Amino acid sequence: MNGTTGTRDFAPVLAQVKPEAERLIAQYPDSRSALLPILHAFQNVEGWVSPEAMTAAGAMLGLPVSVVESTASFYTLFFRRPVGKYVLQVCRNLSCQLNGAEKIMTHIRERLNIGHLETTHDGLFSYEEVECLAACDRAPCMQVNLDFVYDLTRENVDALLREIMAGTYETPPLRQTAKPAANWHVEQDWAQKSPGAREVSSPNDPGGMGDVSGLRMIERLADGPVVLSGRPTEERLIVEGAARLKHTGSANEH
Amino acid sequence: MPVVKVLTDGIGELNLCDIGVYRSRGGYEQWKHAVTAMRPADVVELVSKSGLRGRGGAGFPTGRKWSFLPNNGRPRYMVCNCDEAEPGTFKDRMLLEETPHQVLEGILIGSYAIGSRHAFMYIRGEFKRGYEIFMQAVAGARAAGFIGEKLFGTGYSLEVTVHRGAGAYICGEETALLNSLEGKRGEPRLKPPFPAIKGLYGEPTVVNNVETLATLPHLLKNGAEWFSSVGPPKSPGFKIVSVSGHVKRAGNFEVPLGTTLRELLELAGGPRDGRKIVAIQPGGGSSACLFEEHLDLAYDFETMAANGTMLGSGAVVFFDDTTDFVKAAHALVRFYAHESCGQCTPCREGGYWLEVTLERLLHGGGLDSDIEMLVKVAHQMTGINLCPLGDSIEPFLASVVKRFEPQFRAYVKPSVAVSA
Repeated sequence: MNGTTGTRDFAPVLAQVKPEAERLIAQYPDSRSALLPILHAFQNVEGWVSPEAMTAAGAMLGLPVSVVESTASFYTLFFRRPVGKYVLQVCRNLSCQLNGAEKIMTHIRERLNIGHLETTHDGLFSYEEVECLAACDRAPCMQVNLDFVYDLTRENVDALLREIMAGTYETPPLRQTAKPAANWHVEQDWAQKSPGAREVSSPNDPGGMGDVSGLRMIERLADGPVVLSGRPTEERLIVEGAARLKHTGSANEH
Repeated sequence: MPVVKVLTDGIGELNLCDIGVYRSRGGYEQWKHAVTAMRPADVVELVSKSGLRGRGGAGFPTGRKWSFLPNNGRPRYMVCNCDEAEPGTFKDRMLLEETPHQVLEGILIGSYAIGSRHAFMYIRGEFKRGYEIFMQAVAGARAAGFIGEKLFGTGYSLEVTVHRGAGAYICGEETALLNSLEGKRGEPRLKPPFPAIKGLYGEPTVVNNVETLATLPHLLKNGAEWFSSVGPPKSPGFKIVSVSGHVKRAGNFEVPLGTTLRELLELAGGPRDGRKIVAIQPGGGSSACLFEEHLDLAYDFETMAANGTMLGSGAVVFFDDTTDFVKAAHALVRFYAHESCGQCTPCREGGYWLEVTLERLLHGGGLDSDIEMLVKVAHQMTGINLCPLGDSIEPFLASVVKRFEPQFRAYVKPSVAVSA
């Protein structure tokens, strides 16, 4: 698993979360309802939702770890990779965009030298561009470790970054129990989608999200052929999908 | 100016998170009155009579929603939907953080009305502070004897569980919310059965919005007519409208329904200096745009629907003449593509393709044929998904392409257009 270091003693984490988990489970008519709250509790202690945490949550609730991971992967606030001590989540939605969010996002990316869903090498900052945070009256806005910061300007962003680097920022850092990789969870957008939206290797079991089966769907929706160029970084979705089909096809002929 | 203070009364002036302050203003008296002096059916009747319509987005009459619960002797659940994430909407977060006891009293009264003994408050994962505030409010109300066993010496008991989500817009859709509350992926369910028949844990369930429930103490206190006499007959009462975008003083404004869009613009300080408003998105990210000639329309459910759009969650975004509508459309399409849960192929693939195509357009790789394709795909992916998310792209996109088509055409590179 990305960013972890070998085996480790998980018992202290478990001992810390267990009483809280028991209290949470007792709140619900069905114990499975406590899954999200228990994952929150693990993330509070470890700074992320580790594989060990998912296994432990599954054991507490009688759920296979695959079910826990499938559920956790649906939600953007569960970090399934270690993240920076400060997670900056800047709103990229409409009202913030109308009030200059793009300028702020460019500024932060340049200042930290990282992009969307990435972490600085020192492990201090992770950066994500997120959807509407329900603070449109104070746009542009962001959350720093889920605390709101409003009316962003280049100047107040610089001041905030300086304070975080100096260790004087009022919001406390997240726990960091494993060193984050520079790349935080770039596959998030895919993993989040329901089964069918994964890259799969069999042409008879298409995965969706811009692959060949997706193209067929769009052609149906558009009543005709559509142009095949995507973002440069994601051309592979179409190109690779088509190549796979071709490859498998020719393999079958031999 | 038509601004009123009902749900917003005291916000910004008093510490309404303090249960003592809330009680000193009559807080929880309606809760006590409901349990000790009213039958559940009386509360339902009062709410039906008031004409209150859901404040979350769909605008369904609250009393009617409650009346669908079957009398089958099964446990019933009240769920308060505080998963506010509709672009441009920020009223529920304000109510949660500024006046949590009012919200809680509403949840309690609603629960009593439908005969529920266990209520759930589902709070958006991002609202960490709001969650902490609400947890304290619940603890305070429990200590004061407003939550728990045999309330006010009657046989009625009620438990409240506060549940925090973990980041997923789709969980605002009520059946996705119920799945999330059950510890599952937040995927919408096939309807019917509706939650009233088979909801949380398969039992009869009502899911109501924060603002809807927070209105209940005021209805009990002031009566159905007080509410129904305000505003247009089919859209009665007060509404908190979240105004943002290109205005001088964005904010939440509580007004009688039927207030005009121009009055809302004025409440928000008007357009920025030297600018003029060219478009209005009146009901959240999923609503079609109106334009400057519509500024004098009354802001209510019927008038918005009659003009091809909707009141939705009550989020009004104003756009001035500096707006790049291609970028605006891209922001909203990217949002729906990002938030599609992926269950239904038209929504998952359609949103993705529209986002990719708009991004290509913005980066100079657009074709003339793209513009027609955008509108067509957005239209054809509508109405064929389990939930309304896939239907939410078309209204804004189609309305701004129609109105501001030259802006979209301007992004098409001449050379590309010729070679196509």
